[in-house]
Amino acid sequence: MNRVFKALSDPTRRRVLQLLHARPMSAGELSDHFAVSKPTMSAHFAVLQEADLIEAEKVGRTIVYRLKMSVVEDALLGFVQTLGWKTAAPKRSRELPGGRAERRYLVKREV
Amino acid sequence: MKSGAALLHPAPVLLAVSAALVGANWLMRPERGVVWALELALVAGLAVVFIAAVRRRSGGAIARAIAFAALMLAIALGVRLAAALGGTIHDDLAERATMVVLGAFIVATGNTLPKTLTPLSMLRCDAGRAQAFHRFAGWTWVLAGLAVSAAWLVLPIDAAQTITLVVLPACMLAIAGRAVWLRWSQPAANPAA
Repeated sequence: MNRVFKALSDPTRRRVLQLLHARPMSAGELSDHFAVSKPTMSAHFAVLQEADLIEAEKVGRTIVYRLKMSVVEDALLGFVQTLGWKTAAPKRSRELPGGRAERRYLVKREV
Repeated sequence: MKSGAALLHPAPVLLAVSAALVGANWLMRPERGVVWALELALVAGLAVVFIAAVRRRSGGAIARAIAFAALMLAIALGVRLAAALGGTIHDDLAERATMVVLGAFIVATGNTLPKTLTPLSMLRCDAGRAQAFHRFAGWTWVLAGLAVSAAWLVLPIDAAQTITLVVLPACMLAIAGRAVWLRWSQPAANPAA
């Protein structure tokens, strides 16, 4: 469960989960929604996969990510969002306490 | 499912407890020997199915179902034994406890439903809609299970029975309706294709 909380603690990862709620998406499609580098997005995907919240499936030459959230995890995500934790990542100029490099980027656009 | 995981699984313990309770009940009320023999056969049958499930790689769900069945059996047998021993057991306690566990089983099953993914290459409809269906089915089962458990915990027996008889078929109808809608409302489109 710690892995799930860790995965949900990051706004970028929550946004990824929100996007995957609509439909499975390729890594490229998901990355297009964020102004972050591909390695950073890969790290986010890895954390989400480790928490068993998404699943990667190779289709041809692309990797398609699919939502793999239980009802409780889905409710937890909704609860976190209802609590008002911002979906947008913190601004680039603002350093978070203990923040990693991946946290210093902006979410490019909201859908 | 691995053999090592089977040793840590609650099903063998619950089956053993059920068998012991059947034996104790038989000793207390030997005049109902046929009933206890049937219950013992049921426990043995569940044990056989559990062993078969352990040998299969994808037998986790079956093993979990057997654990719940054994738990329900153990509750019912425990209540009967307590009554035979002279305990002051309310008449409907066994029924209530069994239905609360059944509700919990429905919740647990519904909770994991959206996690069971069909490979994209095997999907016969749009992947997004299939995912939405799984989530809908999962949420519906979880809410139905919670309603059943809550009803049998707090409501009078008659009301709880009515709610169960309304909620579970309605839940199944809603899921079936959604499946039919998913199948017929749009042409097959598969991103994997």
